[in-house]
Amino acid sequence: MVYAIETQGLVKSYGALTAVDHLDLTVATGSIYALLGPNGAGKTTAVEILEGIRTLSRGRARVLGEDVANDYARVRSRIGALPQDFEPFDRLSPLETVLYWSRLFGRSLSRPDAVRLLEAVGLQERMGVPALRLSGGEKRKLGMAIALVPEPELLFLDEPTTGLDPSARREVWQLVRGVRKEGRTVLLTTHYLDEAEQLADDVGILHRGRLVAEGRPEELIARNAGRTLIVLGGAGAAGLREVEAEGFPARLDREDVLVPVADPTEMRAALGRLAALRTPFADMYTRRSSLEDVFLQIVGSRMEEGVLQA
Amino acid sequence: MREILADTIAFGRQYLRSPIGAFFAFIFPVLLILLFGAIFSGIGTSKVSLPVQDQDATPASRAFLDLLNRSPYVTVTMVPTDANLSDYIRANSLDVALEIPSGFGTAAAAKVPFNLTLFGDPSRTTYTQAANVVGAALVQTNFVLNGAQPVLGISARPIVSSSFTYMDYFLPGIVGMTVMTSSLYSMTSIAAEYRTRRYFKLLATTPLTKGGWLSAKIAFYFLLMVASLLVTLAVGVAAWQMHATLTAVPFALIAAGVVLFTSLGMLIGSVVKDPSSGIAIANAVGFPMMFLSGSFFQIEAMPGYLQTVARVLPLTYLNDGLRNAMIYGNSTLALTDLGIVSVLAVAVFFLAARLVSWKGR
Ligand SMILES: Nc1ncnc2c1ncn2[C@@H]1O[C@H](COP(=O)(O)OP(=O)(O)O)[C@@H](O)[C@H]1O
Ligand SMILES: [Mg+2]
Repeated sequence: MVYAIETQGLVKSYGALTAVDHLDLTVATGSIYALLGPNGAGKTTAVEILEGIRTLSRGRARVLGEDVANDYARVRSRIGALPQDFEPFDRLSPLETVLYWSRLFGRSLSRPDAVRLLEAVGLQERMGVPALRLSGGEKRKLGMAIALVPEPELLFLDEPTTGLDPSARREVWQLVRGVRKEGRTVLLTTHYLDEAEQLADDVGILHRGRLVAEGRPEELIARNAGRTLIVLGGAGAAGLREVEAEGFPARLDREDVLVPVADPTEMRAALGRLAALRTPFADMYTRRSSLEDVFLQIVGSRMEEGVLQA
Repeated sequence: MREILADTIAFGRQYLRSPIGAFFAFIFPVLLILLFGAIFSGIGTSKVSLPVQDQDATPASRAFLDLLNRSPYVTVTMVPTDANLSDYIRANSLDVALEIPSGFGTAAAAKVPFNLTLFGDPSRTTYTQAANVVGAALVQTNFVLNGAQPVLGISARPIVSSSFTYMDYFLPGIVGMTVMTSSLYSMTSIAAEYRTRRYFKLLATTPLTKGGWLSAKIAFYFLLMVASLLVTLAVGVAAWQMHATLTAVPFALIAAGVVLFTSLGMLIGSVVKDPSSGIAIANAVGFPMMFLSGSFFQIEAMPGYLQTVARVLPLTYLNDGLRNAMIYGNSTLALTDLGIVSVLAVAVFFLAARLVSWKGR
């Protein structure tokens, strides 16, 4: 297996704060890897170390086979990066920006090639206006375009969809899938669980600088949350106690009791036993687990817009 | 190299699209040249008007008036002989007026001492100018009356070739000042903007290096300053008939000045919180330089302690060098100034390229 990214015991500390804590990460070539975590988890810190624009405190990291601490000059022109909160140059149009960027990489795109790239990200209508006048989604697309200018083997996207409306987010997803189809590797960060689940081949959950879970989304779900859940709506803490006394693994999500069922053949029996509980509940239904359930299970709280809920 | 060229072009494009950039590089120096030209050319040609009341009205007094009239520094006007001169001065708010009392002709013929009366406020420059002219006319008249030939005299020999005016002296100072303001002020805010808006981080992911980025800015400001010099000079020549010699030295001085002030701007911009505090610090550094480095006022005319300050300001050497090269044609002195500015420029450039980090921590 060839890895586009490999880290061993990667640490970044700011005084007493350990922003990235012994991170062991492997990203397979040609895959989409999502680093998932709430604000302040250390996503940007980790990504910028891998982009060669922040130093690491301890450990080792290799990008496209080169050591980031010593040999980054050799991979600089083989990576593309969309930083978090990307802002384009106000007074250049998307077309000018793309042409400028291509020359920085010594590629000198022709005008038609630059136009084609802007078409690919969906900016063809807006390629002549000063970037100052682009909407948030259009700016992000321009950021994607310049990240793609070097035809990178490895693309870093730091929160590429944060703050975008659902349709713009879907457009970005399509773009990212297109990049993988060309055989490139993508490392993206996100705090949207559905984004990680739908887009990524592999997901790493980052919490307080540590990688607390890693794997394919469906594996993570099967391993940590059970494929299917029985939900006892409004059963509350009393319900949880009774379910646990019955010998089921269970957890409380607000006022609902969630009972994971790992083996589908046990479903009917489980439903029967739970229906007979003494604690009253409002309703009872089954649903498929999601990454959200995994996150809740592992981190112990929900996450909304990147913020952990109490 | 190619990425530096690409960055120069892209930066130049953005710079020229911002109205502030064009203002400092072109409009500001041209405005100053026009403004100062108007002020100083006015002073040079202005004659003092000298009202004279001739109570004598003899051929001798008329000959004396004729002598006054020939002076290029005064315009003689006649006050009616029936007017009370003191009242007349007050009524017309005059700075100065001359009375030739009756008896002037008789006294001159008899060669007995006789006094003219110069009314006015001796603290006014117009009074001084008129008094000088009247004094000179009297000296000449005395010579003639005593039948003597003037033997000793004084001939003025200005150090600057006589075809140069104050404005020619002023022009290099404006050019030097424009090099300083354009590169220092805009680089400070650009470096601060690039940091706060994370453009530096973005560029750090490309093959362009920090030194390359700074070099691109220097290349652009050099071209901009050469264009600004030519425009300023053209306006000066067209409007005020200025004279200046353009050799390679002024261009080398501009290049060294641009390196120096661009790098200084990058240094300041990298440590400040945001672009506006960058502008504040650039002002604190640039403003004293603007006025103490001989752009507007001659350093030699300043109090001693200010001259000491001027001698440690780098713009002083840029201005001096430009003046020596463009006006006085003194290439030895100009090259010394170029040396001083170049050494400073190289030092600040490497300091900026080393100290400034555009990666994160
Ligand atoms: N330059 C820095 N100096 C000090 N602390 C920092 C710095 N950069 C990041 N941090 C801290 O490191 C932690 C991780 O930050 P970050 O990587 O930006 O998280 P994320 O991208 O996941 O939101 C946060 O607590 C943040 O405050
Ligand atoms: Mg972040």
